Amino acid sequence: MLRTFARIKTERRSSHPLWMPAGISVTLLYVLFIGLPVVAILVKAAQQKGLFASLLSDTTIQALQLSLVTSIISIVIVVIIGTPFALLLARKDSLVLKFIDSLVELPIILPPIVAGVAMLMAFGRQGILGPVLNSVGITLPFTTGAVICAQIFVAAPFYIRAAKLGFQSVSTDYEDVSQTLGVSPWQTFWKLTIPLASPSILSGLALAWARAISEFGATIMFAGNLTGKTQTMPLAILTAMESDIGASLALSVILLLASIVVLIILGFFANKSWRANL
Amino acid sequence: MIAAEMTYRIEDFELDLSINVNPGESLVLFGPSGAGKSTILRAIAGLIEPSSGFIQIGESIVFDKDQKIWVPPYKRKVGYLTQQYHLFPHLSVSKNIAYGLSSHSKDSSAALISDLLEKFQLSGLENRYPWEISGGQQQRVALARALASSPRALLLDEPFASLDSELRRAILNEIRRILTFSKIPIIVVTHEREEAVAIGDEIQVIDSGHTLAKGEPIKVLGHPGQERVASLIGVENLIPMNIVDTSTAEGTMTCVPRNMDSPQIEVPLGVGHESGYTTIGIRASDIILAHYKIENSSARNQIQGTVSEINTNSPGYQITLNCSGILLRCNITGTSLSEMDIKTGSSLWAIFKASSCFIVQDHP
Repeated sequence: MLRTFARIKTERRSSHPLWMPAGISVTLLYVLFIGLPVVAILVKAAQQKGLFASLLSDTTIQALQLSLVTSIISIVIVVIIGTPFALLLARKDSLVLKFIDSLVELPIILPPIVAGVAMLMAFGRQGILGPVLNSVGITLPFTTGAVICAQIFVAAPFYIRAAKLGFQSVSTDYEDVSQTLGVSPWQTFWKLTIPLASPSILSGLALAWARAISEFGATIMFAGNLTGKTQTMPLAILTAMESDIGASLALSVILLLASIVVLIILGFFANKSWRANL
Repeated sequence: MIAAEMTYRIEDFELDLSINVNPGESLVLFGPSGAGKSTILRAIAGLIEPSSGFIQIGESIVFDKDQKIWVPPYKRKVGYLTQQYHLFPHLSVSKNIAYGLSSHSKDSSAALISDLLEKFQLSGLENRYPWEISGGQQQRVALARALASSPRALLLDEPFASLDSELRRAILNEIRRILTFSKIPIIVVTHEREEAVAIGDEIQVIDSGHTLAKGEPIKVLGHPGQERVASLIGVENLIPMNIVDTSTAEGTMTCVPRNMDSPQIEVPLGVGHESGYTTIGIRASDIILAHYKIENSSARNQIQGTVSEINTNSPGYQITLNCSGILLRCNITGTSLSEMDIKTGSSLWAIFKASSCFIVQDHP
C-alpha cells in the first residue's frame, strides 16, 4: 500500500517538466492581465497634461474630502457597533446567533446595486420606514447620511467577520488566567483580548475601509450623485470620464495607491498572528 | 487554608467531594484523566460554579450555594497555573510577571519583579517573548506570574507534564521553597507517583469525581488499600490469590494464585483472610531477579519463571516473567539486563520479601 503510494508520488514528480512550462506561461499571462491595466493608469496619468490642475479642481477636491470624511465616519460606526457584535458571535453559541452570523455575510455577496435598491425600499421616501422617518423629520435618500449608510451596509461584514475570527483565536483560557491574576473581565478585555485579537481586527479594519472608500453601486442608487454632497471618489471618476479624463485618472491613481497601502497593511498583519508564535 | 465541599454535575459526570489543605502544606490530587482533578482547581479558582457546597480560601468564604455567596475569580487571589502555562504572547517575560500588579505602585512592583526574576533564575530574559524561551523557562515565568500578586493559595495543574526530569527536580525544589517561605496552601494535580511523594504533604486519590483514598503519600502510594487505587497509581503486579495457610505468630499468610496450586507466595497477614481469598499487589521495583536461587536468605519468596517479554521502561527495562501461569513484572536497569544477559526465554528467579507484598481489596 505504502509502496504504491510512493510510486505514485515519484511518477508525479517525474511529470513536473510537462506541466511546469504551462504553469509558468499561464502565470505570466495572468500577471500581465492584472499588471498591465495598473501600469496603464500610472503611465496615462503621467502623460496627462495638467494632471495637478485637474486634481485640484473643485469637484475632485470635494469628492476626495467627501470620501475621506464619510469613510472615516462609517468605519468609526462599524467599529463601535461591530466590535461587541463580533465578540458576541465569537463567544456565544446559539441557533439564533448562528443564523445572524450567516446573515452578516450577505452584503459581501449581494450586488451593491441591489443593496442600494434594498435600502431605498427600506429607508426611502416610499420605503417601509419612510413615513416613520419622515414624521420625525429625517430624510435619508440623496444625503451625505445615505452615503454613510451605504458604506456601512457593504463594509461592516468585512470588519465583523475579521473581528469575530480574531476573538475566536483568543482562547478563553487566557482570559481565565488573566482573571485569576486579579484582573477584572473589563480590564482583561482591554489588556488581553483586544491586543491578542488586534492583528485580525486591524486587517478587518483595513479591508472594511477599502470597501467603504470604493463603494459605488449602493451609493449611486441610494444617495445619488450630487457634487459635494453625495459624489464620492468612485462616482466622481465615472462622472469625470465624460468631461475631464485627467480628473478621472488623478482620482483613480489616488484610489489605486490607497488600495496598495491596504494590501501592505494586510500583508503585515497576516504575518503577525500571536497564535502562530506560540 | 483551603476548605471546600462541593458537587458539580455536567452531562453524565458527577463530582462530589471535599478538600482540605492547611497553610504551608501541599495536597496532591492524584487520579486518571477525566477524574475531575482540573474541575476541582477551576472551581476553587472561580472559573466554574459548583452545583452545591462551599469553598473557603483563607479566612473568606468565596462560594456558598446556600448563602448565595459568589466571589468572582479576579477577587479571589488564587494563583492558578494551567497545564499549558498560558503565558500572554503579546507581552515580554517581565510584563507577563507584572500583568496582575496594579499600576499604582511602580517602584515597589519593579522591585518585586526583579526579585521574582532572580528567584526563578530568569534574569536576563526580561525582554524576551514567551515563544523565545524554553518550556522550563515558560513554566517558571508562569509560576512567577502567579506568585507576583501574592495569592492566598496556589493551584498547579500538572505542572511537570512537559518538563524533563532535571527541570522537574528544579521546579519541585522551587515549590517546596514556596511552601516554606510563603506559608500558603498549595494544591497540585499530578498522575506521577514520584512527584506525588516528592511534593505532597497529603495525597487525595480521585476517580470519577469521588475521593477513593486520602492520607500521607508514602502510605497511600506504598500500601494502597483498594484495588482501584492500586491500579490507578500503577502497581504493576496485582494477583488474585487463594489463602491456603495463615500464621498469626509470623504475621504472614501463604497464598497460591486463584485456581492454581503453585507457586506459593508468603504475604503479610491482612484483612479479609477469613474469606479465604485476597488480591496481592507487588511493585515491579521491589522484585529482585537472579539466575540462581539464593540459599539461606531472608527473602521469603523465591519463584522461578521464564522471561516472556522485555519492554523498555525509561530509564530501565521491564521484564515480564511467566511463573507457571502468573505473570510478574519486574523493573531492572539496562546494565543489569546486559550483565545478566537476559533474553526472552531465559530462566530466572524472582526474589521478594513477604513485606513487599501488600493486600489489596476492593471492599475492606
